[in-house]
Amino acid sequence: MFFLRELTHTILLHPSYFGAQLEDYLRQKLYEDVEGTCSGKHGYIISVITISDIGEGKIQPSTGQAKFKTTYTAIVMKPFKGEVVDGKVVNVNKMGFFAMVGPLQVFVSCHLTHGDMQYDPNASPPCYRSNDEVIQKDTKVRMQIVGCRVEANDIFAIGTIKKDFLGQIRED
Amino acid sequence: MSDDERMDTGGDFEGGDYENDYLDPDTLNYENEDGENEEEGANNEIDETMIVESNAPQEGERQRTGKAAKPNEVRVTTPYMTKYERARVLGTRALQISMNAPVLVPVEGETDPLEIALKELAAKKVPLVIRRYLPDNSFEDWKVEELIIQE
Repeated sequence: MFFLRELTHTILLHPSYFGAQLEDYLRQKLYEDVEGTCSGKHGYIISVITISDIGEGKIQPSTGQAKFKTTYTAIVMKPFKGEVVDGKVVNVNKMGFFAMVGPLQVFVSCHLTHGDMQYDPNASPPCYRSNDEVIQKDTKVRMQIVGCRVEANDIFAIGTIKKDFLGQIRED
Repeated sequence: MSDDERMDTGGDFEGGDYENDYLDPDTLNYENEDGENEEEGANNEIDETMIVESNAPQEGERQRTGKAAKPNEVRVTTPYMTKYERARVLGTRALQISMNAPVLVPVEGETDPLEIALKELAAKKVPLVIRRYLPDNSFEDWKVEELIIQE
């Protein structure tokens, strides 16, 4: 799910950037530092919307660098148990398949697919096949998230397609 | 660093007992303050937000008042720059200059960062703010340019 969140980020600025463009540089540095990162607590930071406060710089003793505590509002994406997401398959093996939902990697085990779905290792590329569905690399799938593993700087999710209306999404 | 510094104001600035005849050889030859005034407006807003702390509370230690951290409105400490603040400001500024920070005075061929820092201090162009912490953890912000420098 997507959220708007107020977050803070601390920037250490080298003295060579002290000058008229200091604020521009701080903004640019904030975008570079946080966009596309992930924290277990907040989720994936997709995009910075507004920078509400750049803060006063505080000189660090002995290094001469200035520390700015910035606060900003960003769009974050955090997966939840029970959420239904659409993704694209990136990898298929005999254990199951991996799909990417934007930056989030979701693993769907072969035990969490429909009963009649079988792994076909001889097909090229390898795929999961049932009577009316084929799941291979680049297939679009709809999954329900059944669990998340949250690490300090990463999130992985486990998904299922063993329910009605889940599985391959047909273009037509 | 001047972290242990106490801002005792008692009897510190009666005036008169300063040795005015002593002049620091480093600061002697700067009569060019007039010529630089037009630059001041352009440079002032740059990085006046840099704060040098003295006697700061530990990280995580709360302001005793429980209010948001902001400087005291009535400032009671000495308007003179103490020798400890002078040392810290010069040291910090010289370090920054040595790390390629933009210099706010004409360098006139000077290459020693400390000499340039002294020159900036003499011209009141040091872009720093001194945050003086009081024993109750409240603080006052003094710009270097508004403090009186004696030597």
